[in-house]
Amino acid sequence: MKKTSSEWNRHLPAGGDGAHLFPEFEKRAKAAAAEVFRVKTLREAAALILALSGQAGARKVVSTESFLLNEAGLKGAFTAAGIEFYNVQADIAAHAPTADIGISGGEFGIAESGSVCQDSYSIESRLVSTLPPVHVVLLDSNLIVPGISEAFAILSRAFERGYVTFITGPSRTADIEVVLTIGVHGPVRLVIIAVDECPEEGGNTQ
Amino acid sequence: MSEIKRNIQREIREKIQEGPLRANLGKFAERYPATRAAALENAGDVEALREAIREVKASTVDRIEEIAAQFEAEATKRGVSVFRAKNGDEVKRYIVDLCKKHDVKRIIKSKSMASEEIDLSPYLRKNGMHVCESDMGEWIIDLAGHRPSHMVIPAIHLSRFQVAELFSKEMGRELPPDIPFMIKSAREHLRQEFLNADMGITGANFGIAENGAIGLITNEGNARFATTLPRIHVVVMGYEKLLPKMTDAGLIIKLLPRGATGQIMTSYTSFIGGPSPMMVHRENRWVEETREMHIILLDNNRLKSAKDKSFKEVYQCVRCGSCLNVCPVYTIVGGHVYGGHTYAGGIGAILTAMTSGMADFEKFHELCIGCRRCVEVCPGKIDIPGLIEELRVRAVKAHGLPFVTRQLFENVMTNRKIFHSLLRAASLAMKPFASGKNKTLIRHLPLFFSGLAKDRSLPTIAEKPLRDRVTTVTRKPDHPRGKAAFFSGCTMDFVLPETGEAIIRVLADLGYEVVFPLGQSCCGKPVSATGDIETAKKIALLNVKALDAEQTDVIVSGCPTCVETLESYGELLQENPEWRDRAATLSGKVREFSSFVAAEYEKAGRLNKASGGPAVTYHDSCHLKRVLGVSEAPRKLIAAAGCELREMRDSDKCCGMSGVFGLKYVELSMRILDQKMKNIKDTGAEIVACACSGCMVQLQGGVDKQLPGIQMKHVADILAARIKEK
Repeated sequence: MKKTSSEWNRHLPAGGDGAHLFPEFEKRAKAAAAEVFRVKTLREAAALILALSGQAGARKVVSTESFLLNEAGLKGAFTAAGIEFYNVQADIAAHAPTADIGISGGEFGIAESGSVCQDSYSIESRLVSTLPPVHVVLLDSNLIVPGISEAFAILSRAFERGYVTFITGPSRTADIEVVLTIGVHGPVRLVIIAVDECPEEGGNTQ
Repeated sequence: MSEIKRNIQREIREKIQEGPLRANLGKFAERYPATRAAALENAGDVEALREAIREVKASTVDRIEEIAAQFEAEATKRGVSVFRAKNGDEVKRYIVDLCKKHDVKRIIKSKSMASEEIDLSPYLRKNGMHVCESDMGEWIIDLAGHRPSHMVIPAIHLSRFQVAELFSKEMGRELPPDIPFMIKSAREHLRQEFLNADMGITGANFGIAENGAIGLITNEGNARFATTLPRIHVVVMGYEKLLPKMTDAGLIIKLLPRGATGQIMTSYTSFIGGPSPMMVHRENRWVEETREMHIILLDNNRLKSAKDKSFKEVYQCVRCGSCLNVCPVYTIVGGHVYGGHTYAGGIGAILTAMTSGMADFEKFHELCIGCRRCVEVCPGKIDIPGLIEELRVRAVKAHGLPFVTRQLFENVMTNRKIFHSLLRAASLAMKPFASGKNKTLIRHLPLFFSGLAKDRSLPTIAEKPLRDRVTTVTRKPDHPRGKAAFFSGCTMDFVLPETGEAIIRVLADLGYEVVFPLGQSCCGKPVSATGDIETAKKIALLNVKALDAEQTDVIVSGCPTCVETLESYGELLQENPEWRDRAATLSGKVREFSSFVAAEYEKAGRLNKASGGPAVTYHDSCHLKRVLGVSEAPRKLIAAAGCELREMRDSDKCCGMSGVFGLKYVELSMRILDQKMKNIKDTGAEIVACACSGCMVQLQGGVDKQLPGIQMKHVADILAARIKEK
């Protein structure tokens, strides 16, 4: 899968000690109408995603591939639950328009605004986060930066070419009579699942 | 020219009566200040941010060619085709050629003001392309065949019922006027447009020179669709969107959504650097290919404007619409009366002058009332009213003023005796002035009384102006602490002489010897505001001579506009070798009444809160608060006079007078006044106070007709009453 930067972690503040910013991030994300969950392990995250999919009556799920998403073992879990699950490029292209849920990973969060930075260079990441009515994004709860300025400082180092989106809540409009309406072209729901104990790529996994 | 003006008058009347527009815009404008303030709560040092944005934008425009070249080179390096278009025609030809070359039939557009500016969609349709707008508001007005009425909320002038009708017709089934349901239906309808489109056209909020990327800010997600599904992506953007660095965009993003809609960030803020991957269904399978990406940089007079010392300031505009959201005129009439162009409001007048020429500017620049509320909120710190004034001066230099106005200015306003005898004549018989052929003449006088107004009684000229009374009020104290000249301004002289007397009394009570130079005349603001600087200089000289003769320590005025104008005499007369030094000295002695008295009271230990007085609400005059920066002093004086201060909502929003505007655009002025009256009434105060004679005339008129039982007072009146009691 193409990425704007293969080394986001290198550009993020060292040590991933942003966890203390999480409460502010959560508050701001919720104010932007995102749903936010914080879990300890990837195992819990997978269980939560499965439960949410059940509640939403999902029959078809598309997901990008990433180290964390793969580690969470979503494919096996969804297949066992009898829900169609696609995470290969051609399958995503074929099924995203009719999928009920799209799952992708986020690189980091912004406490000031409750935004999630998504590396959107791969076509998969955009298809799963635009077409389905529900977008679930998996985030390392330690990777939160204080503000928009810090986020752009990271971007100015990590972005040479590609496609990056700061996602802040679900899509919305106030174009008719200035009445806020959630869910226009993009997802109707944005679910952020923040995981405290993310295994390190190349390190020992659970 | 007058015929065009009459048109605008009629359009304004229609807009005022347009229910949905008034309701939606009113709702938005009422909520806006609080929403914006809440969003800014965690933004950090907003003033420092604004200054940083101004700095980045201003330094970019000074080297726009270099930045554009870098942007072009970096984007090209990443595989983008960059086209520099001189004008709209070149953009249109480029896109049509592209469509032909790649067999494009269906185009999905996300919002782009630049393409709106050059009427791109109609042209593409004429050439056989199917073009669909995807921003909800843009789609609605496209279905209606309208122009955008707001920069961020283009269909704000339509009701849910009107939208339901448009949607029903387009979708071929009856839709109920239920907003969430309509949005859901539109989502489904437009989804097919996205999936079937061959080309996506977007605008850009930013173009980043260091990496050739574009930035897009949306809430609906349509720009992400338009850059994900179709096989070709075309960006149409103006040069003013270029920035040197990614971090510069970060600065703007700190304030743009907060100012536009009160959001900290919009739902989607994307940066696209170079063509991105896409999926193509070929030979029964999905394969990844690279999307073709084109960026069209639209000039349309922008590069020439970048070299103009005034016009280049519009490069500081980030298109957030904050200025419109606080504009007392715009929030009542909406964007359509501004000539039916792409850009509305004060900033729209300037952008239109830049992209469509001065002829269009002259049609609606008068709708900027110079209240300067926009200057306070603009993220790029653009002096919108200042720029409009500058453009007015240019327009007058180029075409002159209308004949009657010119005659009046040149023959009457530059001769105090003639001017004042006309005013005295008016007090005897206002009729000949306010009717018939002279009607045009009267509305250009600084005191104006044209026609009848339903919601406002008109000021009457006092039988005995202040200048005939002063001898009985002024007296020399035994040990004066200084000598003060009182500059009344026409309104206090001829309409509110009692308030003028109150000012003299307060100054005398402070121990000043007060003089009223009888040679003083109109300060010249009503003349300079029309752009006639040459006549304004002549008037300035009259006053400089009159004031110079008295050799006082200070010159005090209770009219903020007069203060501002007197303070500018030094600069105004700098090319007059004989008088420039004396004019500059006089300008340095000018003091605004309330801030001067508050400082004197403080020195004397009199600025303490007292009690026992009536409840007072205070109206901030635009020029007093935003030009002179005075808002605390009058409030402290009111409290020191023992009154209970009750703040009204939007205390610093214009009362609707604004010099000649209040009489020329009567109905509009009345709607602005109505809002003010409601806010005054809601406080339950017995007295509404202000420290500006211009506002007093307007508020007095409104209170007379709408709020019997509430008194209108200048802060000086309140203080003088207290002195009398002593």
